[in-house]
Amino acid sequence: MGRIALHNIRKAYGAVEVLKGIDLSINEGELVVFVGPSGCGKSTLLRMISGLDRPTGGTIEIDGQDVTRRSAADRGLAMVFQSYALYPHMTVWQNMAFGLQNTRMPKAEIAERIADAARLLEIEPLLDRRPGQLSGGQRQRVAIGRAIVRRPTAFLLDEPLSNLDAELRVSMRAELTALHSRLGATMIHVTHDQVEAMTMADRIVVLRAGRVEQVDTPLNLYNVPNNLFVAGFIGAPGMNLWPATPETKGSFLLEGGTKLELPHLDLAGPVTFGLRPQHLRLDENGPLTAKVTLVEALGAESVVHAELEGGVRLLAVLPGQPDLALRSQIRFAFDPAALHVFDAQGQRVKTG
Amino acid sequence: MKPLASILGAVIAAPLGWIAGLAEAPLRLWQRLTGKGGMIAFFLLPNMAIFGVFVLFPLIINIVYSTTSGSALFLSDRDFVGLGQYERLLRCDDYTNTLTCQEDQFWTAVKNTAVFVVVQVGLLISIATATALILNREIMGRSFWRAMFFFPVLLSPVVVGLIWRWILDRNGALNAALVGVGLDPVNWLLERGWAFAATIGITIWAHLGFYALILLAGLQAIPRDLYEAAEMDGTPPGRVFWRITLPLLMPNLLVVIVLSLIRAVQVFDEAYVLTGGGPGTATLYLTQYIYEVGFASLLKNPGLASAASILMGGVLIVLTLVQLGLSNRNEKKGKQK
Amino acid sequence: MTRAWAFLSRRRAGSNWDWTDIVTFVWLGAGLFIVFGPALWLVLSSLKSPAQLSEFPPTLMPYEARSVIVAGYENPLPLYKVTDDAGTRTLAEVRRVGTVAQMVDPADPGTIQKINIANRTPERDIGFSWSNYTDPFLKFDFLNYTKNSVFVTTMATLITLLTNSMAAFALSKYEFRGRGFVIVLIVATLMIPLSVILVPLYSIISGVGLINSLWGVILPTVATPTGVFLLRQYMLTIPYELLEAARMDHASEWQIYWRIVLPLTAPALAVLAIFSVVWRWNDFLWPLIVLSRQEVYTLQVGLNAYAGELNVQWHYLLAMTVMTMVPVVLVFIFLQRFITAGIAGSGLK
Repeated sequence: MGRIALHNIRKAYGAVEVLKGIDLSINEGELVVFVGPSGCGKSTLLRMISGLDRPTGGTIEIDGQDVTRRSAADRGLAMVFQSYALYPHMTVWQNMAFGLQNTRMPKAEIAERIADAARLLEIEPLLDRRPGQLSGGQRQRVAIGRAIVRRPTAFLLDEPLSNLDAELRVSMRAELTALHSRLGATMIHVTHDQVEAMTMADRIVVLRAGRVEQVDTPLNLYNVPNNLFVAGFIGAPGMNLWPATPETKGSFLLEGGTKLELPHLDLAGPVTFGLRPQHLRLDENGPLTAKVTLVEALGAESVVHAELEGGVRLLAVLPGQPDLALRSQIRFAFDPAALHVFDAQGQRVKTG
Repeated sequence: MKPLASILGAVIAAPLGWIAGLAEAPLRLWQRLTGKGGMIAFFLLPNMAIFGVFVLFPLIINIVYSTTSGSALFLSDRDFVGLGQYERLLRCDDYTNTLTCQEDQFWTAVKNTAVFVVVQVGLLISIATATALILNREIMGRSFWRAMFFFPVLLSPVVVGLIWRWILDRNGALNAALVGVGLDPVNWLLERGWAFAATIGITIWAHLGFYALILLAGLQAIPRDLYEAAEMDGTPPGRVFWRITLPLLMPNLLVVIVLSLIRAVQVFDEAYVLTGGGPGTATLYLTQYIYEVGFASLLKNPGLASAASILMGGVLIVLTLVQLGLSNRNEKKGKQK
Repeated sequence: MTRAWAFLSRRRAGSNWDWTDIVTFVWLGAGLFIVFGPALWLVLSSLKSPAQLSEFPPTLMPYEARSVIVAGYENPLPLYKVTDDAGTRTLAEVRRVGTVAQMVDPADPGTIQKINIANRTPERDIGFSWSNYTDPFLKFDFLNYTKNSVFVTTMATLITLLTNSMAAFALSKYEFRGRGFVIVLIVATLMIPLSVILVPLYSIISGVGLINSLWGVILPTVATPTGVFLLRQYMLTIPYELLEAARMDHASEWQIYWRIVLPLTAPALAVLAIFSVVWRWNDFLWPLIVLSRQEVYTLQVGLNAYAGELNVQWHYLLAMTVMTMVPVVLVFIFLQRFITAGIAGSGLK
């Protein structure tokens, strides 16, 4: 229970196409995170799945059944809204009971389900309060509780952590993940925060401008980004991206003038090199010479901002607390195997 | 919206500003002499003087007025009679029959007004709520529809009264329509029941848009995602209305009920132009009674009118307090639960 | 009309029709008819001649009898379509005696034909009796009433804006003893309507000699607690730092009021101005009490007086009603969005 498949989902508001044909299949019990910059269509996609909005084209299947034309209520899904959407005039208990009462469920069963959910989420003392008397984190739990009591085939979570402060967000993140493994239900989680996506997801769906850029496990996305967008979007601080042109076989000229010898690469036409800041190390004989412009010492590691020839920016994360003077020239080396290569269209080039 | 408002405001503020410029030098001197306190007094004085003389002072001496008798206008020429005027207003031999009352006109007016208030406010609020619900839907040209219902609100009561007097005339459009579909014409304004209903109908027609707009603002303040949450739960429309919309609209509804009650108790303009209180005394309402006893009739009795107006003011204050108390209790209940 | 129906029939994409859509459709359609129908009927009726107004059932459009000049007759004669044994033809009426009319054929003015009036219908075209509109200005005091109404409305609005904004400024931007009391007083009197203080107010107006004076109408209305309340709420949103910056620049308190606070309050002033204009234009009960001489009547009082006459001249009355309505309709057309937004925001009554 809880398999969701999307086939060529499209959504247009007038002439503006927000979703441009999305194919996706979500397995039973999976925690899938939709991530992407704002306006990429991730929330719209979630609303299509929920049934609150109808797609302009394509079909949605849940457990093998076509539900595209079915109303939101008949899809057996539960949604946690960004603003929680708790009914302000009802107590926590009433909020959780409201949806169940619609289905004319026996009172005893309603009470039992709510008691179970309240125990699971540790909100038992709050059942008689109203949402206005709860803290942000408590409201969040109630909103999740309201979804849990319905025993849905899948949970849809629309940026549920974005209204919490930073500290609470980290702990709720862990709790949600734990909750997922306990319930074993399918969850779709929408966020614009790639750290949230990396830490929570079984699989991440990266969306941009209404298209799926890549679907994979968090580490695969990090290690083998399919294209420039995913490479730049996943990982913090962001990947160094340097446009370059091949000069002779195995020799490349970076934008700005730095020369790079990479004998294992035989490429024609302009490319972009990608290198994670963590893969750079200080080396007096390294191929990259850069001028230090800023050092952010975080204690365990230091983020070094520097400029290559021609003012091209370089970002390096170095372990410990190296003593680097501002405006000094330093040299970096890296393992050529860690280098990502993208072609002129921004697609990954296999390098063996 | 914003630029239009600003332009309008600027057009109005400009001439005022010019006059204000002339006052600059003398007022600087005044400020130097009297300090900030003097300026505060200066800013408050015009409004407070007018307010004091024409609102507050009359309000206070009204009580004195109601304890005097005679037809003289100024208090100094009037005789003190204590609670005599109230006694005259309120005394009845048999309270089930207004004809046995000393001031049977007053009791008729009270009875008419009471029925009017209950029926008119009930209908008005129901229709306004329904209209607001419909205007809150995703309909094309919503601003047009919203403005349309508001149009009669701007018309003067005299115009409203005359428009409907013309339509409800014996040879008017409504009777023509009745005859057209094969029914007998009705003498709307000369039959007691119909005339009474007509005053209720036209006051609803004239005020509906105002209340519908306030309720619409209340509806629009209810977050959309509450409705989406309800939709996810498969809540039927009726239950959405009773369990979500209505409770969340309650604060606005209370405000609207207070305002419409207070206005209904004072009903005068439209009804007076439409029926003049007739036929007989079928549409004689309190304000008209006060107006006639105090000003229009040959046997003017300002003291009696004043006593009646104080009784009406008392009702208005009680209504307001009851409603305020209700809404306070609602709030407290909300916090405790 | 067709555009309005198009509004109704278009819906959110993707949803199905259900009973709520039908209710919406019917409600808005009925609303359109009930709201605009009476006003439209008033306008159409106001253009009819007295004879046409007395017809029952009435026609929708105003008509004028078609007439023709016939040789040998001094005045133009009204034309009728006659249908009887002799066939259908158009004749002009010379005179009428009982149920029989003496008529002539315009082409043959010599022969008088006697026609039963049951066999004829008047020939007429759509035509407007503009004299309904011009006569009240020429023959009656209508122009004078208009002038009085304009005077009352303008002066009352200007004074309202000035005094209310000054008071609101003092009550929102200064701390002083008794401020709370004044505010409570104002809020409390929001609920006290004029009709509760008619008698003593009349004696005060009379005491200061303003009976039958337009100022007697203006003054009691200008200190509206509503206006002070509305402006104060708006001024509270102006940051105090602005005033202090101005004081650092050596502005006097008066300059702070009119050079800084007033311009920033423009949107609220505009709302109050529009409502003040509509309120004062429409005022009825108080002018009715204060003004008893015809030359000081405002439009509303004048209209009521005409309507109260024993023999109501509906053709004039309807035209005057339309003219009284015109300024308000103009306000409505040009400012409707602004007003509806303003009322939803401020809850003015």
